[in-house]
Amino acid sequence: MPPDARSHWRLLIELASRDLWFDRMVSLCIMASLIAVIAPLLLLFGLKYGVVSQLRDNLRSDPRNLEIKMLGNGNLDQRWFDELAAHPAAGFVMPLTRSLNTQADLLRDNQHFAADAEVIPSDSGDPLLQGGIAPPQSLQDVVLSASAAKKLQVQRGDRIQLIVRRKLDGRDERGQVEVKVTGVLADTAFSRPAALVTLELLIAMEDFRDGWKIPLFGIDTGTAQPPPRKRFARARIYARDLDAVAPLADWLQQRNIEVSTRARDIEAVQAIDRVLSLIFAVIAWTAVIGCVASLIGAFLANIDRKRKDLALLRLLGFRRGAVGAYVMTQAVMLTGFAFAVGFGAYLLGSAVFNRALGANLADGAFVCHLENSHIALAFVSALLIATLGAGIGGFRAIHIQPAESLREI
Amino acid sequence: MLRIEGMAIERGTGSHSYRVALPELTLKRGEVAAITGPSGCGKSTLLEMIGLILTPAQLHVFTLGDTTAVNVAGFLQRDEQAPLADLRAHRLGFVLQTGGLLPFLNVRQNIELPRRINGLVTHSELVDDAIDRLDLSYLLDKTPRQLSIGERQRVAFVRAIAHQPDLLLADEPTAALDPFQARRLFELIIDMVQRFQIAALLVTHDWDLVRDCSIRNIAGVADNNGNNQGTVFRDAA
Repeated sequence: MPPDARSHWRLLIELASRDLWFDRMVSLCIMASLIAVIAPLLLLFGLKYGVVSQLRDNLRSDPRNLEIKMLGNGNLDQRWFDELAAHPAAGFVMPLTRSLNTQADLLRDNQHFAADAEVIPSDSGDPLLQGGIAPPQSLQDVVLSASAAKKLQVQRGDRIQLIVRRKLDGRDERGQVEVKVTGVLADTAFSRPAALVTLELLIAMEDFRDGWKIPLFGIDTGTAQPPPRKRFARARIYARDLDAVAPLADWLQQRNIEVSTRARDIEAVQAIDRVLSLIFAVIAWTAVIGCVASLIGAFLANIDRKRKDLALLRLLGFRRGAVGAYVMTQAVMLTGFAFAVGFGAYLLGSAVFNRALGANLADGAFVCHLENSHIALAFVSALLIATLGAGIGGFRAIHIQPAESLREI
Repeated sequence: MLRIEGMAIERGTGSHSYRVALPELTLKRGEVAAITGPSGCGKSTLLEMIGLILTPAQLHVFTLGDTTAVNVAGFLQRDEQAPLADLRAHRLGFVLQTGGLLPFLNVRQNIELPRRINGLVTHSELVDDAIDRLDLSYLLDKTPRQLSIGERQRVAFVRAIAHQPDLLLADEPTAALDPFQARRLFELIIDMVQRFQIAALLVTHDWDLVRDCSIRNIAGVADNNGNNQGTVFRDAA
């Protein structure tokens, strides 16, 4: 072959492609056998990935799935909170008062109120604050859940009363503070009537119920000023992501803190993922093994058929390696075309699946989907498989002797 | 231009062994020689050895070319396939029994192939001249399967000389042709080889054709030396 490697490769690729075109029926058969494996596998993997990622997205979009609920009350100091917040699985940690003290009445007027609404301390990073809603900044700010806002018929910027009741020295007392609605949560974020407030307001509510004098609620009765709060009964805890829920729950349980999570829901999705992965792997390997066997047979038969042409190329001066490269180049070309067609079939099939099976899903949701990285990986795998098949044919090709072109008739 | 001494090979084993020998051969530029002999005497085996595709068991001298003569014997003895392939591409041209054209290339592309393999520009006055003389212009865009055997042989001949090799080797190029076509092709080859100053060795079993064209005849004669049967190729008287 000429010393100029570029012209050498150009000639080799040109000859290989002309040969494929000349034998287009055979080329088409080899391509068809590749497409018959590539397209269904892309669709199958697309369905598996699409279904599982859709389920995971659904889980991920609901912050309750990341929540680790503490059962019962404890005595948690700042060091405990710092240690928990530093845990790599932790996503959001917030002190919380005793459960009985996390309720209040919300009142707009006599016709619009929400009795015993949940009062939840919040801060930046709170998973409930989706869609760019800012956390409450002052004692007079609240972010309402969608159901609370609906009951009260209020929207952002409206003012409502937050009412806390207590029994002090045998008398029923009602403290109240006017708060401003600074945001309304999405429907999906929290289903029950609730108000997100600053931790300071929640502490003030608990102190008020404990009999302390809290002027914020407009009552002068109670024991002087409460001491600064250093310990909390509970905590709001959210994991960093779905996979972090179980390890974080384990960490808490190792410290004798009873918790509950939605681990069963997460585990169900992970089980679906595992089952689908197993099904996909079995089908994929069966198909790939069949494809490799078919390719080896096709390439070997093709090389035997072209034996005289390959011997002639050797006679004309093609080195052994060049003849091997010629066969491999043809394999790469056939695989490239087959993958392009297979990918087209996948796009068509996935569009049908997404239209037919994804009709009930939200906008932008999908049933069958692959990331670009998956496509690239599939292409490289297809090339590797094809070159493996062609490699055996190529090995036979490089042993073809130029003399075979002379001994004809 | 071509000088060979002491080339021999033994095929088969035991009582079936058969020896093919070429004690001495020298060819000058423009010289055409026929290798003749009965079927099975080893003509093609000899051609394969001279064509660098079969390694002789014995070889004393094998040089190819004039001012840039290459000691081919060394490469053959060391079985160095890569330089042998390069030598085939650069210095040899082959014509096979039925042309040996690549079916997926048209006539023009087949003719240009050796020049492209050697990194030469595809256009050549020598090739244009040969195409005109062999009346192939109207066939250039046809594929080999659209040609008659005689046309294929003419195309194969032009392809064999397209890169101006030192030596043309033809393995029974007239075997598939009728006597008229065979004679015409033979005469064309002799004329063109002399015109372009290429040495040529033509394997044939057509003694009449060799005699009528008055070319040198290297004939294979039986060489029963002890237990070994064989053929030795020498200049015929």
